[in-house]
Amino acid sequence: MDYNRYPEIQAGGKPFKKMYIAIMLWVVGRAMQAAARTDRELKEEFAALRDDFLLKLWVLPGGPAMLVGKDQKGRVKYFGWKESGEKPTLTMSVKNIEAAMLMFTFQESTTIATARERLVVDGDLPDACAVVRVLNTVETYLLPKVIAKLAVKRYPKWSQMNPFKKHLGRIAVYARTFIGV
Amino acid sequence: MQLPGYYEFCSRVKMIAGHNALEQIPEALLALKSEKPLIITDKGVAAAGLIKQVTSAMNKSKKGTKVKIGATYDNVPPDSDITVVNEVAKLYKSKKCDSIIAVGGGSVLDTAKGVNIVVSENATDLMQYSGYGAIKRKLNPTIAIPTTSGTGSEMTLVAVIADHSKNIKMVFGSYFLLPDYAIIDSRMTKTLPASITAFTAMDALTHAVEAYTCLGKNPVSDAMAMSAIQLVTQNVVNVVKKPNDMDGRLALANASTMAGIAFSNSMVGMVHTLGHATGGVCHVPHGICMNILLPYGLEYNMHKTGNYIGELLYPLAGEEVYNSTPKKERPTKTVEQIRKLIQDLHDATGGRHPRWFKEVYDRDGNLMVSREKLPDIAKTAMSDASQFYNPEDLDYNDFLWVMENAWEGTPLNRKKVKKG
Repeated sequence: MDYNRYPEIQAGGKPFKKMYIAIMLWVVGRAMQAAARTDRELKEEFAALRDDFLLKLWVLPGGPAMLVGKDQKGRVKYFGWKESGEKPTLTMSVKNIEAAMLMFTFQESTTIATARERLVVDGDLPDACAVVRVLNTVETYLLPKVIAKLAVKRYPKWSQMNPFKKHLGRIAVYARTFIGV
Repeated sequence: MQLPGYYEFCSRVKMIAGHNALEQIPEALLALKSEKPLIITDKGVAAAGLIKQVTSAMNKSKKGTKVKIGATYDNVPPDSDITVVNEVAKLYKSKKCDSIIAVGGGSVLDTAKGVNIVVSENATDLMQYSGYGAIKRKLNPTIAIPTTSGTGSEMTLVAVIADHSKNIKMVFGSYFLLPDYAIIDSRMTKTLPASITAFTAMDALTHAVEAYTCLGKNPVSDAMAMSAIQLVTQNVVNVVKKPNDMDGRLALANASTMAGIAFSNSMVGMVHTLGHATGGVCHVPHGICMNILLPYGLEYNMHKTGNYIGELLYPLAGEEVYNSTPKKERPTKTVEQIRKLIQDLHDATGGRHPRWFKEVYDRDGNLMVSREKLPDIAKTAMSDASQFYNPEDLDYNDFLWVMENAWEGTPLNRKKVKKG
């Protein structure tokens, strides 16, 4: 049989879904950088991580991706979507674009996605625990309560969250996410 | 029944269970095309005469087969270590063995899995294979023979091996680490002391209960968990009181394996998160931690998973109690039933089965978990990944609050659980 007569059929690219996820990853990556410079608890969370910490959160098989880690001064930084030599110390891979859509349209929380084995973690599990806590806080800052409640297990109650921290923090995180400082 | 929108389940270990299951080892080896197994075990198992039972069972039924034991290594420590793995792998290679029979508990099985990676992959650096999915092909044949009825590790795809020189623990996860056979024989647990029988059975019960009530639950694991809970509750007190109840022993061994299948596919929650942390900080045996923390985990999560917790009343207390309890009272009745079981085991062992952490003493009579250690335990728990699967979120203060109650022996005031 001449196999060359039967060309390999490539799976559909799903460009719009990939574009949506790429934008979401960009926002989340920049928001992690912003929140780490705004929120005291997140600062402490990152400070406890190794000096060469580099997270890669991406969608299998070929992206999109985002990289967040510590720079040489120990500051949390969004490093874009492409690896540039440094090997990530923690890789969190979403198994496919459809699973990523469920997560980033908040139909499934990060923890439910993990429980349903949609997220593969490669690296130190304590680091992964810290990253999930960071992601939960970032989502609480970025999203309105009605959506954030779908994304996190426990939305901090108004009484449990200092209103000053919540409102000013939210403004600061938004501003820094889009300005990039 | 509520089905998850998506789940994965895999259990590819052939199980042979019965009062004389050991006699099937030669046939199992034949099926695996193995003729020269290496037996891996620990000193306690060997001293209890269990290896003799395994080898004599193999001799009894080896007519027509060419099985010959290559060597026996009986010095596995309680905390599996890379030095031991390399030592056993060397023995495997020098004796030209072609398969492994692991007889023991979690540490023996983890060591056997590590040895199998080294000998099958001809590995010089075990670290290369750590993490999930690094092992890509089938390893050499392995038969697991558990000697406690609790860990269920004969059904799990994970191995944890320490490198004490670097002060790290390496985690290996792959479906290729699952043993080919699990042989469950009642004779293997006959000599277990009453107190160990009690807390290992509570370990199995906890695996099943958390598998049924945490976020990774699925209908296949649920079926395994329900049966395991029923087998434990119907037999454990009897076996503790009458150690020669071999049918009861076999029931507990089956329950442990079934709970192992359930939790290795559904994972576990905060009872294990705190149990791992308490074990790590204070070296309390895992089963004792599970036994103490189980009711607290259920109380903490009850506002989220009360319906599932209520369903457990049926296997725990039987049809009559289940039917006569109004639906909204079943979750609290389930917790009451578990506390009653713990109390029954405490009484049946003459007080040696602890009910809370202030009752846990080591062999020299020292308190193992002092109140001052509770903050360390709560901090350690924050880095344990099993919390992902817990229905309700926990922060440092929540972990500490649960531990304080579990130390003192006071039920949780559920009104104080933070809900979001």
